[in-house]
This record gives sequence, structure tokens and C-alpha cells, in this order.
Amino acid sequence: MAIFKNKAMIYIIGGIVAASIPQFLEIGRSTMTMLNMVVIYSIIAIGFNILLGYAGQISLGHAAFMGIGAYVSANITAALGDIPFSFTLSLLLAGVIPMLIGLLLGLVALRLEGHYLAIATLGFGVAVQQVFKEWIGFTNGFSGLSSSYPRVFTLFTENGYLLKDREDYFILSISVFVILAILAQNILKAKTGRALIAMRDGEHAAQAMGVSLFKYKLIAFALSAFYAGIAGSLYVHLIRYTEPNQWGIDLSLNLLAMVVIGGLASIEGSILGAAFIVLIPEFIKEVPFLENIKNFSSILTGLSLILVIMFFPHGLARIGSQIKLLLLNRKNKTKTNGA
Amino acid sequence: MVEFLQNIVAGLETGSLYALAALGLVLIFRTSDVINFAQGEMAMFSSFIALTIWQKHMPYYIAFLGAIIFAIAFGFLIERIFIRPAAKASLVSKMIITLGLIMIINGLASAIFSTDSHYLRKAVVLPNIKLGGVVIQPNALFIIAVTIFIMAVLFYLIKNTMFGIALRATAQNEKTAKLMGIPVSKVYSLSWIIATVLGAIAGVLIAPTTNVSTTMMMEVHLKSFIAAVLGGFGSFIGPVVGGFIIGIFDNLVGYYLSLQWKTVIVYGLLILILIVKPTGLFGKAHRKKV
Repeated sequence: MAIFKNKAMIYIIGGIVAASIPQFLEIGRSTMTMLNMVVIYSIIAIGFNILLGYAGQISLGHAAFMGIGAYVSANITAALGDIPFSFTLSLLLAGVIPMLIGLLLGLVALRLEGHYLAIATLGFGVAVQQVFKEWIGFTNGFSGLSSSYPRVFTLFTENGYLLKDREDYFILSISVFVILAILAQNILKAKTGRALIAMRDGEHAAQAMGVSLFKYKLIAFALSAFYAGIAGSLYVHLIRYTEPNQWGIDLSLNLLAMVVIGGLASIEGSILGAAFIVLIPEFIKEVPFLENIKNFSSILTGLSLILVIMFFPHGLARIGSQIKLLLLNRKNKTKTNGA
Repeated sequence: MVEFLQNIVAGLETGSLYALAALGLVLIFRTSDVINFAQGEMAMFSSFIALTIWQKHMPYYIAFLGAIIFAIAFGFLIERIFIRPAAKASLVSKMIITLGLIMIINGLASAIFSTDSHYLRKAVVLPNIKLGGVVIQPNALFIIAVTIFIMAVLFYLIKNTMFGIALRATAQNEKTAKLMGIPVSKVYSLSWIIATVLGAIAGVLIAPTTNVSTTMMMEVHLKSFIAAVLGGFGSFIGPVVGGFIIGIFDNLVGYYLSLQWKTVIVYGLLILILIVKPTGLFGKAHRKKV
């Protein structure tokens, strides 16, 4: 079947199947919220994976971009009201504005590497979170900002269609996700992706081959900030509320955990990682003994992060092939020893 | 003028705590090439130990000692369990391990001690000293004195003893140090232990101002990063100077410019220093070999 060789087709078909399941099955509202969150986090995880997995640049401040996306989107929909395309426009701007700020961070990253980049982005994240807390006019400070359900199809019908049901919202988030996943797939399998990988594996060697570090570092930061902003916009219209404490170091660390646990440099890995981070706390709630331990999910996430980086550096996405390789090597070894 | 001096004194007090924490960061970085992002969380945990002992109606100095003894064991265990097995991993992997430690330690702390914030007394409770209009708390003097004393001891150790030579040799070149018969793994253990103890001291001393809670060390920890960057990760004296500078700068910005935007300005400064002078005031530029 040639059709399944094409990743884009797989994403589209998978997306249609995933989006239609809740239309037929009766799934509770809280479960649907959770599934929506998995999709939203998958989007930001893909963006973060472009940065960390493909370009090899670390960032501990990416929650800030998601936050900017959320606030921008909430403000724009509130300002535009019910004019046509207000949601589409705010979704796009929620991606573009963080992208421009991401370019600035990319400029910083040009001068720094490794540890220093981590510290600088950490400082960036804390500073932006502080701006969220203090810029009352934009964010409403600690009281938090409410947002509306997105109104779509305003061009075709008079009042448009209000995405109130979680099932309908799921269709929206899945469609955005599929578009962005295909975009990422196409970028990464082409020249840009190869350049990013070359840069990750050796900056000097990449430069010698004619890869412009300036261009590709900026691309990596801009792309990942764009994805983060879109995820933030989808988040704020799903939960319809946001406040500064959500966009802190905890989320940035969770993002890192998603990408590392799921699998670096793998789009499927990003999805797996996002599902892992969102679902772990839900599973823990079900276990009678563990539910009494506060913050057990954070302990478990940290432990899994460390275990994965120590023993399965390719993450959950490639755990199968890694074990297969290990067994194969062992077999070959015993064979050569026997001979 | 009085306000200015008052801010300088306050800056010296917090700055010395930043310096202690930053020195711990640099000690670990120089020997084992890891930036310990979990330093703040580890200090927070040690402070909780001090609090727990103190709440059992034990004298304050026993609580302080208890935290230090705990920190010794804690630093040793963390290095053994999490850092040493990953000795051969890449720099980014090691960094990610310490980031994972943040989650684990923070999660453990809120599971064991809950997320409430608790009062812990000051180390020295005496009437304030007035010096030409400037009010000086004896506790502040105590903190500054403790810091200077610890620095002096540490610098003496680093400069003049066999341990210091071993430490500097390991920092310079691990392989050669090993060939010279230096027990490199012991140096690693020791540097983690010392760093954790430094963090614990900073934690217990800052506790009266921040209260003991799971988020108490956030600010000190991040400021200690700035101190280390400003002074330079490559030197031992740099972070101490950087700590004092950041402490004073922080207070002056808060007083003269804006208390609300203080954090943003200080972190802006951090990013600026990193761009303009990544090696810091005292660090030497090292060239990367291809």
C-alpha cells in the first residue's frame, strides 16, 4: 500500500479517525478535555522537538511562548468581537508574535551554547513570566484573563458556529495539529531539516559544509516559538482562562520531559511524550495507594526523564528498535564467539 | 544618602547568600562539568530538615547542624546515584538529569512536607544597631560574617592544601589528574558535598525572609546563576564578587527604579551579560577546538 508510505497521508487519515471517534462514542467531558490537552501539548512538543531534537538547542523558557500565544489570542478575540475570521486571525497572530520574539531569542542563541544557552533561556522564561504578572493591561495580572469559545465558520452562516462541545473542539485541535505535523514533516525531511541535524551534530563541520548557523538557528527558534504560540492559543480557548503561574518553569520542564521521554528528533515521539505527560497524573488518580502522595506525578516524570536519558536516549518512540538492536548485537556476538 | 547605604547593607546581606549558592554551582561545574540546576531544590530540602528539627523544640544551632549533616549525605547520594552513572553522557544529557532532579526533589518535598510555608527564626535575634541613621540588623551582620568566613576557609583549602590542588587539577584536566594519582572520584564526591552544604547554609539563612516552602529557593537559585555568570564560571572568586554585585544591584534597582519590574530588569541584565561577555568578569575565554 503506497498510501501508507506517505507520512502526510498517515497523519491525515489518523487525524480523521481520531477526530471522528468521539462523535460516535459517548466520552465524558473531562476525558475529552484531557484528549484535547494531549493534542495541544503534541503541537508544542513538535515545535520544541524541532529545537532540541533536530537543532540541538536547549531552551528552558519555552513556556513563555505558549503563554504569549495564549494572552495574544485571548486579547485579540476579545477586541475583535464577532467579526468574521476573528478566531482564525487570532490563532495566526498567536503564532506569529511569539515567532518574532523567538527570532530575538535565536539571536541570543547565536552567541551562546550549551550551559549558557540554558541559563539565558531560563532567565528569559522567568522575565517573561514576570511581565505577565505585572502588565495588568495585557494579562489582567494575578486575577487571570478569561477568554471565549471560538466562533468558526462566521462567513457561511450568520452567527457562525460556537465550538462549545469538547468533541467539536477536538476536531479543531486535531485539524490544526495535522496541518502543523505535516508542515514539520515537510520542513524536516527537506534541506532545512538536514541543515538542522548537521548543525546539531557539529557546528563547525556544518559551517564548513556551507550551513549558515545564523539562518538555521533563527529558523529553529522561530519555528518552535510559532508552534508554542499556536498551542497557547488553542489552550486558552479550550480552558477559557489563563493566569501567569501557568507559564513558568514547571511547564518548561514538562515540555523538556515530553520531548526527551517521547523521543528526540521524532514527530511520533513528541505525540507519545505529550500523551505521557498529560495522562500520567490521570492514571495516578486511579491508583488508590499513589493518589494520596502529593505531586507524585512530578516525581514520576522526573524519574522517567532521568531513566530515559540514561538508558534509552532515543525515547519511547524508538524503544522497540533499540531493544531489537541490542538483542541482535548479542546474537551476533555469541555467533562470532562460537565461530 | 541614608537610603542608599541602607540598600547597600541589605544588598550585602542577600548578596552573600547569592555568593554562597553561586560558589556551590561553580564548584560542581569546575570539577564535574555539570551545571546543577537542582542546587536550589536541594537547598530547599535541607532547609526543610532544619525546620523539622527546629519544630521539634530543639535548639536552633542543632537544627542548623542537622541540615548541614543531611546536606552532606544528600550531596553524596545525589552524585553517586544520578550523576556518576552518567559520567560519560553528553553535557546536555547531564544538564537534563539535573533538571529531572528538580522535579523529583520538588515533588518529594511537597509530598513529605506539604506545600505550606513555615516560619523559621533568624539566626541572631538582637536589637538593631543604628549607625548614623542606617539600621543594621545583627542577623545581617551574622550572615555576611558567616559567608566571608566560609569563603576564607574554602579559598584557603583550594589554594593551599592537597585537596585544593587535587580539585584544581581535576577541574583542569580529569585524565591527567587521574594519571597523577589523584582520586578523581573522591574529588567529585567532595565537590558535590561541599556545594550541597553551601546551598543548605544559604537556604537556612534565607529562610527567615522567604519562609520555608517548596518555592523558597527559586529566587536565590536564579540569582546565584546570574552571580555565577557575571563573575564567570571559570573562576572561584568571580561568583563571590558577582553575588555581592547582584545583591546590591537588585536592591538599588528595586528602590530607585521599580520594585515591580526589578526581576525583569535583573534578568535582562543576565541575558545582556551573557551576550556581551559570556565568560564573566573573571573568567578566561576558552577556545573550542574543532
